[in-house]
Amino acid sequence: MRRELHAEWTKLRTLPSTGRLLLAVAMLTVAVSALSAAAVSTRLCRSPAGCHEDTVKLGLSGVGLGQAAVVILGVLAMSGEYGTGTIRTTLAAMPRRSTLFAAKAAVVSGSAMAAGALGVLGSLLAARLILPGNGFTPAAGYPPISLADGPTLRAAAGSVLYLGLIALLSLGAATVLRDSAAAITVVLGLLYAFPVITQLVTDPDWHARMQRYAPMTAGLAIQATRNLGRLPIGPWPGLGVLAAYAGAALLAGGVLLRARDA
Amino acid sequence: MTTTPTITPYRSTLEATGRDGFAQLLRAEWTKFRTVRRWVLGMVAAVLVTVLISLLGAAGNHVSNNGEPVPKAPDGTVVTDSFGFVHRTLTGNGSITARVRSLTGSGSDGALSWAKAGIMIKAGTKQGAGYVALMVTPGHGVRLQYDFTHDLAGPSAKVSTGSPRWLRLTRAGSAYTGYESADGTHWTEVGTVRPAAIPAAAQAGVFVTTPMREKVTRAFGSTSVVAGGASATGVLDHVDLTGDKGQWAIDRVGHGDLNQPDKPAGSVSGDTFTVNGTGDIAPDVSAPDVVGKTLGGVLLGLLVVIAVATLFITAEYRRDMMRTTLAASPRRGRVVAAKAVVIGAVTFLAGLVATCVSYPLALHSLRKNGFAPYAAHAQMAFTNGTVMRVVIGSALLLALAAVLALALGVVLRSSAGAITLVAVLVVLPQILSYVLPLTAGHWLLRLTPAAAFAIQQGTSPDAYPQVAHACLPEGGCYPLSPWSGLGVLGVYAAVALALAVWRLNRRDA
Repeated sequence: MRRELHAEWTKLRTLPSTGRLLLAVAMLTVAVSALSAAAVSTRLCRSPAGCHEDTVKLGLSGVGLGQAAVVILGVLAMSGEYGTGTIRTTLAAMPRRSTLFAAKAAVVSGSAMAAGALGVLGSLLAARLILPGNGFTPAAGYPPISLADGPTLRAAAGSVLYLGLIALLSLGAATVLRDSAAAITVVLGLLYAFPVITQLVTDPDWHARMQRYAPMTAGLAIQATRNLGRLPIGPWPGLGVLAAYAGAALLAGGVLLRARDA
Repeated sequence: MTTTPTITPYRSTLEATGRDGFAQLLRAEWTKFRTVRRWVLGMVAAVLVTVLISLLGAAGNHVSNNGEPVPKAPDGTVVTDSFGFVHRTLTGNGSITARVRSLTGSGSDGALSWAKAGIMIKAGTKQGAGYVALMVTPGHGVRLQYDFTHDLAGPSAKVSTGSPRWLRLTRAGSAYTGYESADGTHWTEVGTVRPAAIPAAAQAGVFVTTPMREKVTRAFGSTSVVAGGASATGVLDHVDLTGDKGQWAIDRVGHGDLNQPDKPAGSVSGDTFTVNGTGDIAPDVSAPDVVGKTLGGVLLGLLVVIAVATLFITAEYRRDMMRTTLAASPRRGRVVAAKAVVIGAVTFLAGLVATCVSYPLALHSLRKNGFAPYAAHAQMAFTNGTVMRVVIGSALLLALAAVLALALGVVLRSSAGAITLVAVLVVLPQILSYVLPLTAGHWLLRLTPAAAFAIQQGTSPDAYPQVAHACLPEGGCYPLSPWSGLGVLGVYAAVALALAVWRLNRRDA
């Protein structure tokens, strides 16, 4: 396993796109989080406390855009090899395909989570600095964002895990489809189009059901720190839904990688 | 001694005409598209996905209005028609005059800016019957309105006990003319209108109403609108109706204040009338937008179209086909133009097939799910302007997104990057607009290519400026009017194309 890990890490590290994508994960996450925090103010509500704003969730909204770069990273890690034919060399050098796949998954999700951690910490720092200026002060019932707070820590760590799972989902989809365009379209459709289509469905039962099973809305439930009772799905079960998607994609990818010729 | 024979190099005598023309280039690009099976299958998949998701979206939509009839204007528009009305019959020509002395609203913030007090001639007291009304509003001056959807502005006068306002409405044949005055002697004409279908024996009198109080609140990270009860009371005096001198009837059209359902609509003492009302006389802007609900699948079909359009160029780079293409046609700008025309036209036609198939099927499903009262056959036909705009506009939206994806594919040369960038630009703003504050969400839906989805709205947010209405992104409302929304995407596509031509000319392939 160590050899495989080393080989995969070398491949990923030496691609020029990897550095740019990991930078994009962190930067996009922080930028959108900071902009969202700056856009919200207690002046829009009757009273500051009446806003019921989940400041932590608001401060982490950039994850919604940062994940797009993670999707590219996860998909290219596999489909890039098929596109250029490197996969044959890879499989000749490392014939144990399951080990190879596990090593790839570990390296890709690990780097996505490392960049994601930077983005999440930067986002929370930005929110902590920006929000008090918009009226979200301790006096109004919004304590400063701090990782010492249990739910905040859960939201932050969960967001990093979320990005790792997105990387795994993308890697699995790319292994099944072996094509970057198809894999990216499927994963982005699952993540982005699902919530918009959910919004079109007015039937309350179906609406709630779709919110529970959409990978993005369910997975991002991990960011909620207030009014957990009103969420369509709880934080950890929500992340579990995304993990189930990622697990299914990885399983299908692993089985097909073993079964098919490259 | 030998002499070297001079060799004349061979020169073709054939004329090269017709080889590098734009038509040839178009044909070459079309041949490329149609002979790559994955691209053709991708386009077919886009059509299927659009139809399928549109049908699923329609099947998941239910509405119930508890079997109550939906009031409709003479032209079929779904309307709100609810007010206090003190009236009697006016037969043939005649006029009604009244002085509005005050208009006050319930609640701490007084009368709403679109509360109404004035005089009216209406075909009958049935909801939805045709009418002409001349009124004073607290925020928008004197207005002459008729048949729910028409609104003429008069002087921007305000009414208070200190400065009352005189109003007069005359009928001569089918022409109705409104006048207003500050003193009852010097009259100014507001306008002359010809409404449809008011019979000779009409009901004329004074009326008061006010729209519901809409409260936009943000809670738990999302914005919601709570419609609260509001009621208004108006005092009018010097009421004078020519013609019939019968008894005044005090009636409520529609519903009254929901908290006091038994409260009388008004009282008459001498020529002073005190009338109260609630509910508004206007198009019902919160009625379900049936046309807008029929093509939800376009969003998912769009993602497939983006992938195909991106591959149409990035595959050439990956397979080094681009060098052959550019060797055959060295004028690079034309290559991009030809590719854009081909992918745009193919996508438009495929999109048109998808929307033309989705629309009637989804409409059928919506009608079964309780939307039938909001989907009159005349307004839902393909020949209706709004339906045509939504069906053709959605296909245009797909075509413009395809051109944008193609252009960004030239700029980035990477399928993954271009597909993700376009998908993020078009879809993500919508998701963010659901959770951001209303103003920030609106700007996002004005400035990003997501604005183009405004073309799918059945009703434009600015169609009826005489009705205050909160435009919520999660309710399917886009802040821009349909065509300017599509124009935003057009601008993005044009800028990206220009960028693509510039990049292609500067870089080696």
